[in-house]
Amino acid sequence: MNNLPEDCIAKILSLTTPRDVCRSSAVSRCFRSAADTDHVWNHFLPSEFPEGFRAPEGLPTKKHLFFSLVHNPLLLHGSQLSFSLERSTGNKCYMMAARALNITWGHDQRYWQWISLPDARFKEVAALKMVWWLDITGKININLLSDDTLYAAYLVFKWNLDPYGFRQPVEASLVLAGTEHDDVQPSMVSLMQNPGSEQGQHAELRSDDWYEVELGQFFKRRGDMGEIEMSLKETKRPFEKKGLIVHGIEIRPVLP
Amino acid sequence: MSESDMAIIKPDMMKSYIWLETSDGSIQQVEQEVAMFCPMICHQVLQKGAGSSKNSAISLPHKVNPPMLSLIFDYCRFHQLPGRSNKERKVYDEKFMRMDTKRLCELTSAADSLQLKPLVDLTSRALARIIEGKSPEEIREIFHLPDDLTEEEKLEPLKNTMDDPRIRLLNRLYAKKRKELKERAKLKSIEVEERVDERSVDDLLSFINGRDHKGVNTSKSKKKNKKRKEHKNGTCKVFNKDSHNLHSKQRSVEETSSSSLGRVSNLHSMEDDIFSKKAEFEDGYIDDEIDPALKEMLDREVEEFARRLNSSWVLSVGQERQPVHFSINGNGDTRRLTGPAARHK
Repeated sequence: MNNLPEDCIAKILSLTTPRDVCRSSAVSRCFRSAADTDHVWNHFLPSEFPEGFRAPEGLPTKKHLFFSLVHNPLLLHGSQLSFSLERSTGNKCYMMAARALNITWGHDQRYWQWISLPDARFKEVAALKMVWWLDITGKININLLSDDTLYAAYLVFKWNLDPYGFRQPVEASLVLAGTEHDDVQPSMVSLMQNPGSEQGQHAELRSDDWYEVELGQFFKRRGDMGEIEMSLKETKRPFEKKGLIVHGIEIRPVLP
Repeated sequence: MSESDMAIIKPDMMKSYIWLETSDGSIQQVEQEVAMFCPMICHQVLQKGAGSSKNSAISLPHKVNPPMLSLIFDYCRFHQLPGRSNKERKVYDEKFMRMDTKRLCELTSAADSLQLKPLVDLTSRALARIIEGKSPEEIREIFHLPDDLTEEEKLEPLKNTMDDPRIRLLNRLYAKKRKELKERAKLKSIEVEERVDERSVDDLLSFINGRDHKGVNTSKSKKKNKKRKEHKNGTCKVFNKDSHNLHSKQRSVEETSSSSLGRVSNLHSMEDDIFSKKAEFEDGYIDDEIDPALKEMLDREVEEFARRLNSSWVLSVGQERQPVHFSINGNGDTRRLTGPAARHK
């Protein structure tokens, strides 16, 4: 292996994963110098960046760019969409701000308020005062995502002082917009972490201290077109819901 | 020779061969269509007219030894026939790749020097599959690579994969303290930018501290924190570069469990003590005598900091984390040691 030229080693490493390349940096000097080359990390960066993407300044190598995008999501599109990379594969991840979602009655101050929280990625989050018709929908163009990857969408939220009306599961759905989905049953998810409830998904605590609940999954194939429509609804029960704070919807690859 | 003899000889001579010389000096001939499959040989034949006779044999790169050459030509002989189906080629390739790692490396090397890209791709993929998922130790063993990196160099990439912003913060703290001490020693009687450094380190700590209550601080509330501190100390400096760095650090810290950081807030008062003590010294002269003592105290404080950081870390054990041993060498640098290295400082 010592006899292999550095660009051969770099080529071999580019066929592994980012994690393996980082480990390779600790093998030997020749591996390390091959592992740091731009050729390798270019391979892990997306071949196509989303519209409005501008690489942060001051990053000397492609490796720095890669890890910068992993750890520091970039705001695109007038700051309503954040873009980052999944660390082990380099696949693209996004988060849509609450402002980018369609929240029924969201414009009405009697029901929803838009506030700024210090630990939010976006300028504003939606705080629910009180509503009967809870309907939150988001749409994302499937083009933005990485090919041949299984993705999941999560509603990112937390609770205000006195949440009410969320003990029962609510409806979550994820469909490809425009397809026949009258027959597709929405899944029931529980926003509260009830340890007893066996049925369906329930909310999990994230590392950034927000909660998330899975709305659904989809597999993006090369050449897929259209929009993915994700929604969370509770419109059937005749009582009010209160105290939910919506950060946004995150779309990221499902890790094996 | 009779005419009939000549007739027998002629059909053989119709098939053309290319003459090649390997690094060990041996010369052999190969069917033209097989040899021409290699771009490097092709180039030599077409551009320079070489290889048509024993005397004008093409000398191959030194990485191509006879056994590798015959392997390569087996590959070429199979693939240069246009009539083969994709499935046939795939099956052949899978079978062809079954050899030990040493040969795989040699083959990659040889194929690369002959510019035979399809074969290089094939062998590279096979080698990539071998490397995937293995630890550095294992990779060194499999490929007989020298262990020629220093401890520090080995730890560096692990920081990226395990994402430990707290070590970086700690090292920054050390670096800043060292810088402070140096500056003091240089400018004894002048009241200098002590506050400059203080401010930056304060930022670091208030950032750690701020997380105690709310999760990540955005620049908004950081400014709030800064203003509070400015009231306290009466200086008004904004360090955009530092706050930007901090902001990006915040994002990476997001990934660590926040509950453990609650414990770090205890250190804030300790660090405050360090700074207030320094403020006392600022006004008067700084003797050489005080310097080493101060240095020692600072070292002790930071060691305490490191110990607490470590203990809070151990509590927040996730899947990838192992108990980390810090060692502080003479310079005051923190080194993160794992395994047997942790035993000796």
